Amino acid sequence: MANNKMLIKFFIASESIFFVMLILAYINFHGSNVEGPNAVNSLNPLRTGIFSLFLLASSLSVWLAGRSLVTKNHFMMKIWILVTIILGAVFIYGQASEWLGLIAQNITISRNVFGSTFFTLTGFHGFHVCVGLLMLSILLGLAMFGDFKGPKSDGVECVSIYWHFVDGVWIVVYSVIYLWAFL
Amino acid sequence: MSTRIPIVPENVKPLPALKENEGMLTWVASIDHKQIGIMYIIVSMIYFLIGGLEALLIRTQLAQPENAFLSPEVFNQMFTMHGTTMIFFVVMPLLIGMGVYLVPLMIGARDMAFPRLNALSFWLVVFGGILLYYSFFTQSGASEVGWFAYAPLSEKPFSLNKGPTYWALGLLATGIGSIASGLNNIVTILTLRTAGMTMRRLPLFVWMILVTSFLIIFVFPIIASAFSMMLLDRLLGATFFTPAHGGSAILWQHFFWGFGHPEVYILVLPAFGIISEVIPVFSRKPIYGYEFIAGSTVAIGLLSLGVWAHHMFAVGLGNVANVYFALASMLIAIPTGIKILNWIATMWGGKIWFATPMLFATAFIIEFVIGGLTGVAIASVPIDWVVTDSYFIVAHFHYVLFGGSIFAIFAGVYYWFPKFSGRMLSETIGKWHFWLTVVGFNMTFFIQHFLGVMGMPRRVYTYHDFPYWGSMNMISTIGAFVLAISVIIFMWNVRYSLKHGKKAPDNPWNAWTLEWATTSPPAVHNFDLVPPVRGRRPLWDLAHPDNPDEPNAKIV
Amino acid sequence: MNIWQVLSSTWNMEPWVLISALALLVGYGIATGFKLTKLSALYISGLLIFVLALVSPLDFLGRTYLFSAHMMQHILLLLVVPLLLLLGIPKALAEKALKIEPIGSVMRVLGNPVVAWFFGVGAMWVWHLPSLHDTVLANDSLYIAQQISFVLIGMIFWWPVFAPVESRRLSPLVSTLYLSSACLGCTILGMLITFAGAGLYTAYLNPVDSIGILPLIREELCLTPGVDQQIGGLTMWVPGCLIYLTASMVTIARWYGASEDYELISDSGTDGLVTATSQENK
Repeated sequence: MANNKMLIKFFIASESIFFVMLILAYINFHGSNVEGPNAVNSLNPLRTGIFSLFLLASSLSVWLAGRSLVTKNHFMMKIWILVTIILGAVFIYGQASEWLGLIAQNITISRNVFGSTFFTLTGFHGFHVCVGLLMLSILLGLAMFGDFKGPKSDGVECVSIYWHFVDGVWIVVYSVIYLWAFL
Repeated sequence: MSTRIPIVPENVKPLPALKENEGMLTWVASIDHKQIGIMYIIVSMIYFLIGGLEALLIRTQLAQPENAFLSPEVFNQMFTMHGTTMIFFVVMPLLIGMGVYLVPLMIGARDMAFPRLNALSFWLVVFGGILLYYSFFTQSGASEVGWFAYAPLSEKPFSLNKGPTYWALGLLATGIGSIASGLNNIVTILTLRTAGMTMRRLPLFVWMILVTSFLIIFVFPIIASAFSMMLLDRLLGATFFTPAHGGSAILWQHFFWGFGHPEVYILVLPAFGIISEVIPVFSRKPIYGYEFIAGSTVAIGLLSLGVWAHHMFAVGLGNVANVYFALASMLIAIPTGIKILNWIATMWGGKIWFATPMLFATAFIIEFVIGGLTGVAIASVPIDWVVTDSYFIVAHFHYVLFGGSIFAIFAGVYYWFPKFSGRMLSETIGKWHFWLTVVGFNMTFFIQHFLGVMGMPRRVYTYHDFPYWGSMNMISTIGAFVLAISVIIFMWNVRYSLKHGKKAPDNPWNAWTLEWATTSPPAVHNFDLVPPVRGRRPLWDLAHPDNPDEPNAKIV
Repeated sequence: MNIWQVLSSTWNMEPWVLISALALLVGYGIATGFKLTKLSALYISGLLIFVLALVSPLDFLGRTYLFSAHMMQHILLLLVVPLLLLLGIPKALAEKALKIEPIGSVMRVLGNPVVAWFFGVGAMWVWHLPSLHDTVLANDSLYIAQQISFVLIGMIFWWPVFAPVESRRLSPLVSTLYLSSACLGCTILGMLITFAGAGLYTAYLNPVDSIGILPLIREELCLTPGVDQQIGGLTMWVPGCLIYLTASMVTIARWYGASEDYELISDSGTDGLVTATSQENK
């Protein structure tokens, strides 16, 4: 049914406004912390960049899962969904360890506006990734029980659209937080 | 994928089913758009009574100078909760509820596109309201920071009570519910229209709901992110809006009004839709300038997104910014004026039948024009600087929200009540209700224009005995009580008519849109068969096969 | 110098502007047979605005003294000129041109709404990166490239909405979404520029006062760098958005004006009674 895909697309449009607002808040306070922790002296763009590659790769793998669905290759679809989950989980691991590292240096959400905006923006993005992982796991579970024989499934396609969106948001977030600070 | 899993029992009895003594489960577990729509209306009416009670307490406190009826803290809680309740839990759910009930009927659909999502939206609104009102039972009571919760007053150091936290949580939940219903409406209107119901033949009410839904899905995320930041500030010690720690209080204002101004149009566009349905039916003429009404709605929707800073003229954004925003704000008067002219042109030369819905619709035009004119006045920066945060503003937005939205809602309730319940509301009691509303409303709020110009600030719990202030406030308070009586009469009319009202035929007003083609109240499956749609007035075409509207309906 | 002297003495007859405008005019005339029609009037007024934006004092002031002048020129070149040029192209000519490869397939790619959207909004954002903008002001050939890119990208941006061939256009409702999301993009940029605080573009802070009018601008006209930048940001934000909005209104008006889509009426079932639409029977 076209309805489900239309719903997820408008939902994503709505969600992007939410992220635009969080990003605007970050931009608004960019450069207001000259002293104390800020993006330049506290973040490691290379390390996060490497973990970002895992997230970007997961967009590819979820696309391949969609292709397998179309060609009715049930086994490969399950594999690609699993790969997507693993790649996403690696990214979340990267985020978590980055957060823990910052918190260990006493850079927290309440330290200054950099902390507030950084943790809020990356936190909400991480939350969306986790929701995506949850949905992918449900897909995988259902697929294990024999669902999604193809060639079409709104469930797989909608989750895939959502996952691409989460990926796209990260590209913008990474550029605004990391690249802007170091270029 | 298309088979539904029967998690909840499908209701089998036609509406209303409450008196059938089947227990509340058929309602609580319902995913039927008609039942959900009615529940929306009932819940908003309950909140309407609560919000009205708060208004009466406010007016009683202000009835005379130096009054000590309420303490300042309680007074602050009252106006905060009154504003929040009326906007988020009365006008919005009333309009969304009528939309949820009517849209599928008007486009000839079986239900909304996502019935379960529809139920979720409704229950989020209900529980959001409960969360908000729970704050009265916490230590030192509800939020005291006004409905726009300006930072840093709403921040932890200045509001140590739990009120603003519950306030933000409740509104966040409600907002998510609203986004869900907006998404649901959009997909329903775009995909579930019956054959022949092209976008150019949609009833205007459905058009307005569509534009409103787009506004909802694009502006509620703004406030959702602002509420999230406010909650992070209050709960985790983030510093978004605390200037003392590097944050920015102005940022909150931008976020809030970036949402808050379009919100005003979310509250009034569906009301325009109701008026656009009622006026042609009771003037016995097709609507004049359908294209202009629909098109100007889109223009209002788009313009409203870019003019929020006119709420912030007194902030100090700089003269240049003020001038640009003043000009852009005044532009909104053009599409709004187009609508007013179209309604008047529809009435012009028609055989006008002043039944209660039409009385309310006519009064709507007059009251809304007053509110609109004061709106254009305060869009001009120097005038705004004089009257901002005074009772002039209070009078202005009550003319728009009460004289506009609530009058239209009353018109709609009288108009569609036969369809909702199968019985007519009493016309006699309805006329009493109408005239008391008009008298009470104007008595309460018209005089507040003068109070504002004389310098009485809004949100003060009492005032000195300046010349005339006491007597003018007393008049306003008496008006508020007249208004309260009118609401009681309305409630009684509903109660009385549900039991003893005249049985309603399927199409009591000889209207032309599809919802009147089915039985009153509609069966669970809405339509046995949907009549063919070949123009904008399908039931007219059905009744006058020799003289149908032209398919393209060039009625301008 | 007073303000009138400034406005009358700072015209700058750039040869490349005049030559390219003339070439475009002659080319159009050859293709359409030198007839003055409604379409050619639109096209010619587009060219006129193009020339005016680039030779009038707007160009001089925008390059040296005033960010706000630059922004007005930018809005004209990116939003107004390409729109008029595009509207001026006759349908038959466009159909003929689109049949020629590779024009047809190139326009299929560039005219894809997503691509065109990113071009249109991207041009606005990228060219206003502060460091890039300052570089452009200091470099003549880069400046010319920038102005030409505005017009070209503007045409790409408007293509999905106002393409001369109807089949290449988006439906009116999608057009409205396309334009309003673009409006959001330019709103955010305008907002950032407006509220960024003076000195976002360093070139305008202390311009080289080659003709000695800086006191006039700063003191008599009260255009301090802060005010100047605010006017610039707001010009992008409010009038810029109004252009998108007007365009959406035009598409909707055109839709209502067009004849009814009879395919939908002869859809099976409309002549008789049908059951209510629902997910299941859809």
